[in-house]
Amino acid sequence: MKHHLTLHNDVQEVPQLASFIDEVAEACGIDMATTMSLNLAMEEAVVNVMSYAYPAGTVGNVDIDAEFADGQLTFVLSDSGTPFDPTQAGTPDLTLDAEERPIGGLGIFLVRQIMDTIVYRRSDGKNILTLTKNIQPSNQTI
Amino acid sequence: MNTTIKEQNGEMVALFEGRLDTAAAPQAEKDIQPLLATSGQNIVLDCNALEYISSSGLRLFLTVLKCAKAKGGHVFITGMNNDIRNVFAMTGFTNLFEFR
Repeated sequence: MKHHLTLHNDVQEVPQLASFIDEVAEACGIDMATTMSLNLAMEEAVVNVMSYAYPAGTVGNVDIDAEFADGQLTFVLSDSGTPFDPTQAGTPDLTLDAEERPIGGLGIFLVRQIMDTIVYRRSDGKNILTLTKNIQPSNQTI
Repeated sequence: MNTTIKEQNGEMVALFEGRLDTAAAPQAEKDIQPLLATSGQNIVLDCNALEYISSSGLRLFLTVLKCAKAKGGHVFITGMNNDIRNVFAMTGFTNLFEFR
């Protein structure tokens, strides 16, 4: 089962992403809690692309493809922006207390916590980020 | 997404309703300004009607906390659902805030 969505690099389009993820999850019979996690991981990954891939002031597309096969849900995010590998970001220090915690750095960390694999590659002038999550039968509502 | 601020029992209470995602964050940042202008009162972040939070929302909560702490105030969170609680646990935010 395959699904596709194209967004612009505009964070105000995030609600469209949320609807898309809900549709994909429902089509795959995925439970609410897992759907929420997928929503969060995908928002973080997509907002990163929206924020960093294209130069400020330019409009660019973010393409999202979803496929569910053999118990694995795969999302492929692609854009034709400048080379940007979000997997290179460092891990935030979660033990710092409030005064020392920096305000940023959580996006890609959340993607890593939620998704099973994250792979970046650059191909034909595009950034391609592939995220997978194994869906256990217990995460599916029959 | 709606954010309402009111004063109650000497504390500033912010009620969040809906999804605090990246699209909703800019407006929420404006709406919480009264929380950043207090003189050290305690702040309550009422999450009973909060359905979803992403890193933009967490960033907003952290800003409120840093500001309150600098003035000697506490920030209490109430009514988080399991999904939000999970996000807090994943990001270590459970250790930063106080809960009622």
